Amino acid sequence: MHLKYESPLREPLVYGTKDYHQVTEDIVRPIEAKPSKLWYIGFFISVSLLMFGVYAVYRDVTYGIGQWNLNKTIGWGWDITNFVWWVGIGHAGTLISAILLLFRQGWRTGVNRAAEAMTIFAVMCAGQFPIWHMGRVWMAFFVMPYPNSRGPLWPNFNSPLLWDVFAISTYFTVSLLFWYSGLLPDLATVRDRAKTKLRKKLYGIASFGWIGSTKHWQRHESLSLVLAGLSTPLVLSVHTIVSFDFATSVIPGWHTTIFPPYFVAGAVFSGFAMVQTLMVIVRKVFGLGDYITMGHIEAMNKVIVLTGSIVGVAYLTELFMGWYSQNKYEGYTFWYSRANPFSPYGWSYWGMMTCNVLSPQIFWFRKLRRNLYVTFFMSVIVNIGMWFERFVIIVTSLYRDYLPSSWSVYYHPTVWEIGFYLGTFGLFFTCFFLFAKYFPVIAIAEIKYVLKTTGESFKDKMDVQEVLETEEFAHKYVH
Amino acid sequence: MVAIKQQFEVPAKLKTWSLALTAIGALAIIIGFVHWGLSPDQHQKDIFWGTVMYNSIFFMLITNASMFFICATTLAMGGWQTAFRRVPEAISTVVPIFGLIAFSVLIYITWGMGSSTHIYQWLNKAQLEKDGNAEVLKKLGFLNPYFFFIWTTLAIGLWSLLGYRMRKLSREADEASLKGEEPGRSFILRNTISAAVFIVWFALTVGSTIPWLWMMSIDANWYSTMYSWYTFASSFVSGMSLIALWVIYLKNKGYLEYTNEEHLHDLGKFMFAFSIFWTYLWFSQYMLIWYGNIPEETVYFKHRVQGPYKGIFFLNIIINFVCPILILMKRSAKRNYTLVTFMAVLIIFGHWIDFYQMVMGSIRKESASLSWLDFGTAAFFVGMMIYIVANSLSKKPLVPKYHPFLKESLIYNT
Repeated sequence: MHLKYESPLREPLVYGTKDYHQVTEDIVRPIEAKPSKLWYIGFFISVSLLMFGVYAVYRDVTYGIGQWNLNKTIGWGWDITNFVWWVGIGHAGTLISAILLLFRQGWRTGVNRAAEAMTIFAVMCAGQFPIWHMGRVWMAFFVMPYPNSRGPLWPNFNSPLLWDVFAISTYFTVSLLFWYSGLLPDLATVRDRAKTKLRKKLYGIASFGWIGSTKHWQRHESLSLVLAGLSTPLVLSVHTIVSFDFATSVIPGWHTTIFPPYFVAGAVFSGFAMVQTLMVIVRKVFGLGDYITMGHIEAMNKVIVLTGSIVGVAYLTELFMGWYSQNKYEGYTFWYSRANPFSPYGWSYWGMMTCNVLSPQIFWFRKLRRNLYVTFFMSVIVNIGMWFERFVIIVTSLYRDYLPSSWSVYYHPTVWEIGFYLGTFGLFFTCFFLFAKYFPVIAIAEIKYVLKTTGESFKDKMDVQEVLETEEFAHKYVH
Repeated sequence: MVAIKQQFEVPAKLKTWSLALTAIGALAIIIGFVHWGLSPDQHQKDIFWGTVMYNSIFFMLITNASMFFICATTLAMGGWQTAFRRVPEAISTVVPIFGLIAFSVLIYITWGMGSSTHIYQWLNKAQLEKDGNAEVLKKLGFLNPYFFFIWTTLAIGLWSLLGYRMRKLSREADEASLKGEEPGRSFILRNTISAAVFIVWFALTVGSTIPWLWMMSIDANWYSTMYSWYTFASSFVSGMSLIALWVIYLKNKGYLEYTNEEHLHDLGKFMFAFSIFWTYLWFSQYMLIWYGNIPEETVYFKHRVQGPYKGIFFLNIIINFVCPILILMKRSAKRNYTLVTFMAVLIIFGHWIDFYQMVMGSIRKESASLSWLDFGTAAFFVGMMIYIVANSLSKKPLVPKYHPFLKESLIYNT
């Protein structure tokens, strides 16, 4: 019985003549070998950034967030911008692992592991901002609703900020479970190949005693599907609720009904860009070009042009409604504070438009979709653009209040705000470097799963089926 | 080797029934026209034309959703739908005809009735000035009969034309000359390019401007950025249900041998997923307006939630959200021909109700009554749709035999 047939017109997902053993060898090699010089340099830079961030946060706690340049008008600045930016980046991992699993997209197997890891690290980075913005961070547990003796001090369930607490913590938990349960068989593979006792012991604990029995696999498959089903609404809920943080208010530029789906599309957009940044590097450094193929890169670039255009339609819709509503505050925000290039923050709006809407349009061309340099460059551009988007939404809506006397023309971040942001980069890359060193960056088991239907060497054997006439084919293979 | 039934022959019964339905519908429209359309009371006239308008828009958009489905799956390099892809193709042949009807109705309202109608307040500049409605007066750059005419013509014209191109390309899949790698690759590429053009135009019309122009502008002062995506979701989920219905009909008649429960299951998933998607957009729009509680925005929902449309408002959510999530959630339900048929009919009905409340809820604020005119007009479009789709189905083989992805669609497990 055949479960799947794939047209020879489709690109192989795994290049070269590989058998199962070769796949294991290729992917586990970086874990077993000594890290390269490049790895040490990268790791050192990341840890340094992280340390700087830790110091910036230490100062935040000691002196209070007064050391940031927020003011009464711009009460949210870099912190919330960075928060939304990181959460958005996190979305691609779940999209790749869960939604593409539901859509049965075979190409997810090459990139899902790293994307899921990226999700977890990105959400960890995102979480830092609201936590340290609290000021008195030792009171953070106040957000948890549980019987207490604080009298009327009780979480406000009407506030989307509280919904964020639940949405993001649930999302983080499920993503972590999803990622880790997928890792189990691969960790067991590493364990079985381990040469030293300590290594065997550690990977043995990490793989929860996986023995690869039929029963294990059966449960593993069901669990993946259940977690995929759970993650899908969760990933939508997270950025939806992040958008509610703004849209439930009555601030011009924030209160707009399209925000939820447009935030989700933007999140997927930025997340895919970050996956591209990482994947282009990983495939180069670890020599995994046969697994993370140009086909993978191209597919992700297609997602980028799609989501970038969806976001573009949303931007134009908003801009149009800024005029169409004939609400003078909306009109002022959109047509002066944002779209007017000569207004104090006009540059950020046009930066956003250029990076997010115009430049991704180059991916309509196949040649550019399949060019690594263009891909890498664009992935960085998109991430800059998506940072601008959040900055535009937050700062341009806030800096001109309803009351002209409280207008705040300019907002400069202090070195500690920037340091905090750089610190999260440090956290993100430190985690990613450790992940790349100690865990298989590609899902070995899943690659093996698609190898026999989509691998290059197996595709060559398909001629027999491909030349058959439809009726004959159906008669022979369809049940 | 068993030869398959490639060519659909329209059963005489189907012809008779569909024509009868069209005739009954036409009769209802004529009586409605005499009863309301010729009434000296402008409001009565508006009710008649509003009813014809929302029906023609709804049925055009749900048939156009078929072409959107084809183009979206083409761009995504989907293979699974190839076995029944001729069905959405046939459904999309209705677009030019319904498009012409919708076009005539819309143009009659904006040009024929002009400033006398209250459907579009923005047509009556003198009244706006008298009312001191400065906001709408400032929108006349967008809301004016000239732009309305041009954009409506372009929208319907290009949907029809680009859809025609896609269908024409599809004919090549019946020829043995498509066999082999090179012709296959070029075929896919040409399909992709055509589909991309359609999708871009679709985003610029259904995904943004057209619902504003045709429907949202009935409440000329009101606005919601979500409106168009909401309209798209509503029409797309109905369009998927319509495809499912035709696939099941053909299966019942012994056609489409290569389409099986696996394909039905995926159509069911589309119906399920996009019902949830619609709900998501519904909730986002409603909740944000409720939470913001700004009178300029809540005015749209006020009489829908608390006034005469209350029943319809909740019916809308029950049919379009509660039923699909409870019934279609199960795997076995999506593989059950009877249940999918029932749900498809329910979903199409539900979104027809949604369009009813979107349009008539703004034209006829004082009372909500689904009359024989509403059902009659719908019968007219349904009858005509059945007749045209059946006819188109009989024109081409039901299976694109040499489509490069057909074999993928045959061995297919969901």
